[in-house]
Amino acid sequence: MKRWSSLVVGWIVFCFLTGCATHRTKRDLIVLLPDPDGKVGAITVTTNADSQVIDKPGYGIVVEDPNKAPAAPKPIHENEIKEVFGQALSAQPDLSNRFLLFILYFENDTTKLTPESKALLSEVLKNIKSRKSNEVYIVGHTDLVGREAYNIDLSSKRARHVRDWLISNSITPGALFVSYYGKSRPLVSTKDEVPEPRNRRVEVIVR
Amino acid sequence: MKRVCLKIVSISKAIIFLLVSTVAVVSPADASTSVAIVKKVSGSAAIVRQGQTIRATHGLEVWESDMLRTGRNGSIGILFNDDTLLSMGPGSVLVIDEFVFAPKQGKFSIVIKMVKGTAAYLSGLISKLSPDSTYIKTPTASIGIRGTKFVIKVEGE
Repeated sequence: MKRWSSLVVGWIVFCFLTGCATHRTKRDLIVLLPDPDGKVGAITVTTNADSQVIDKPGYGIVVEDPNKAPAAPKPIHENEIKEVFGQALSAQPDLSNRFLLFILYFENDTTKLTPESKALLSEVLKNIKSRKSNEVYIVGHTDLVGREAYNIDLSSKRARHVRDWLISNSITPGALFVSYYGKSRPLVSTKDEVPEPRNRRVEVIVR
Repeated sequence: MKRVCLKIVSISKAIIFLLVSTVAVVSPADASTSVAIVKKVSGSAAIVRQGQTIRATHGLEVWESDMLRTGRNGSIGILFNDDTLLSMGPGSVLVIDEFVFAPKQGKFSIVIKMVKGTAAYLSGLISKLSPDSTYIKTPTASIGIRGTKFVIKVEGE
């Protein structure tokens, strides 16, 4: 009994002096948090060995060895987040709204906006006018179904459709900057030839 | 004789390499444009640019290749041109390796090297427009970011 307790005391003293083995290994901690608007994105943690995705808020990954696969994400206690990251979080600047981003979705293989996006387009117009913006970026995309050349053409038509509509609603052409990327920049990653409504889109950025 | 020649060749190769790499390191800094702006500072925080240390103050510009560091009681928060927010807790060091936000050219990228300490990150427009072009590198891993908010701690040296 006595021996055990002296061992424990010895271990505690050892820990105290060395900072303990677990604390001495260098490690990174990455924790996903919810966006201010409540949405949650995803982060991919990649080491030399493998990668892991975190897509639940409050979940985190500890990485200790660059040559080992990262462990699966696990929930990180709110108190730990506060304790470790409190100062970094309170140094975050306020959200600025220098840009507004709108995403307009289209029906499959057409330049026809979905009903919700048609309504949103009037909102876009309102914002361009109220901000008196002379810098509006219109960026066309498609999903991954079909050949690249075909989709580049389709994404260009979608972007021009939005541009023309804005011009017909008295926005000056000089304020509108059109670009298009076909299937090369999906919002949601899919395999080739997978239909995905969220990728059939035009993004409008109002400065 | 042959060995000496080889040595000379390898030395001159090394010199050429050094010259080329200096040019490569200097050129992005020459294209000195502001990529972010300091919005919050508390305690001691500084930007190290081309070997010079500049005390961080509200409104100070941040350039590509800048190193940001905070003291033991310091913290700093910056706002990038695309509305990405990045803030650092005490005793932290990171480098803005790359920041490109050029919607007209369709070019977007953010690469931040986290050396040590703590940081909080909230994605801006870049991760919305070009989801796979934002990375944070740490000594142990590379973190790809898809439109989101997260915190990171790196124990470093």
